[in-house]
Amino acid sequence: MADPTKVDPIHQFGITNIFSLGEGGVAFTNSALFMVLTVGLILGYLLLSTAGRKLVPTRAQALSEMLYEFVANMVRGSAGTEGMKFFPFVFALFMFVLVANMFGMFPFFFTVTSHIIVTVALALLVMVVVVGYGVYKNGFKFLKLFVPHGVPGYVLPIVVPIEVVSFLSRPISLSVRLFANILAGHITLKVFAGFIVTLGSLGALGFLGALLPLIMTVAITALEFLVAALQAYVFAVLTSMYLNDAIHPSH
Amino acid sequence: MANPPKEQRPDGSENKVTNDLASRIAAAKRDRAVEEAETSRRASGDTSQMGRAVRLGSEFIAAILVATGIGYLLDLWLNTRPWIMLVMLLVGFAAGILNVTRSVAEMNKAAPPPKDADLGSADDDEDDDR
Repeated sequence: MADPTKVDPIHQFGITNIFSLGEGGVAFTNSALFMVLTVGLILGYLLLSTAGRKLVPTRAQALSEMLYEFVANMVRGSAGTEGMKFFPFVFALFMFVLVANMFGMFPFFFTVTSHIIVTVALALLVMVVVVGYGVYKNGFKFLKLFVPHGVPGYVLPIVVPIEVVSFLSRPISLSVRLFANILAGHITLKVFAGFIVTLGSLGALGFLGALLPLIMTVAITALEFLVAALQAYVFAVLTSMYLNDAIHPSH
Repeated sequence: MANPPKEQRPDGSENKVTNDLASRIAAAKRDRAVEEAETSRRASGDTSQMGRAVRLGSEFIAAILVATGIGYLLDLWLNTRPWIMLVMLLVGFAAGILNVTRSVAEMNKAAPPPKDADLGSADDDEDDDR
């Protein structure tokens, strides 16, 4: 932003090249940088905190263990003990989305999950795993997912398309929910913060008026932290539920 | 959990201590399990209200968008605009409702209401209202 009085709430989502490999080759953008940072932080933290492997954990180790147990209980709860073979997958997704969202809460940081292409890639990855494992494990019986139990034959022509659409809508709802929450939250935050600047430049009365958006900004920041954690949780829960469908395809 | 050796030892006093300790550990474990279940239930009920709302909304809309999109593409392919899209819009609406009812059923199963909660009419006369 060149002009400090002009507020551009979309500016924060802009993608800039940091460097690129050759002319028009693979570019390392700020988005990629923050993905690397996200993975690096997760990896570094988990490795360092569990390096001691103490029986009585230190604080850092206890947090790692809590994260493990939290996700493990979630996977066990929605996909059963059989679903635990997907625990690394769900844990990786949960940690990536959580840390990426939390990175987004730092001022001047780029939010990876505010771009739909990232969340769609994650959701499609989930769907590829669900369909792939479902077909591998159950073969043609996987198609039973689209034929609910105990439905008379003559309504199947109506019910099956509905079930198929319901299944196809999953990656969309999974990705759009995460992306929309993060995008909308960040824009709202920026717009309210922009009001402070605009009102503050109006003189004494403006200063008083600027108090209101300031309070709102503080409140929304707290809400955003909640949303960031919640969306990571929802993403992981739904992933394990969809995996449950792949493991036990009949409803 | 393995039982501590009870009658195998001739020395009575030490056995008593082990038995006592074992039962105390078992009791503490039971208490902790109950407490953990309680806190996790409360936490999921309190913090995810907003998550639930957003989840239901997005699931409903996603189904409609997907179905309408499929219908539109089929129309482009078969040159039947706009008929398949209209039919698929309705199918998508139905699928959206199905998504919502299904996730609400899952939520209810995950967090059943407490036993003494007043939910209106009892189970047996519920069918009268329909």
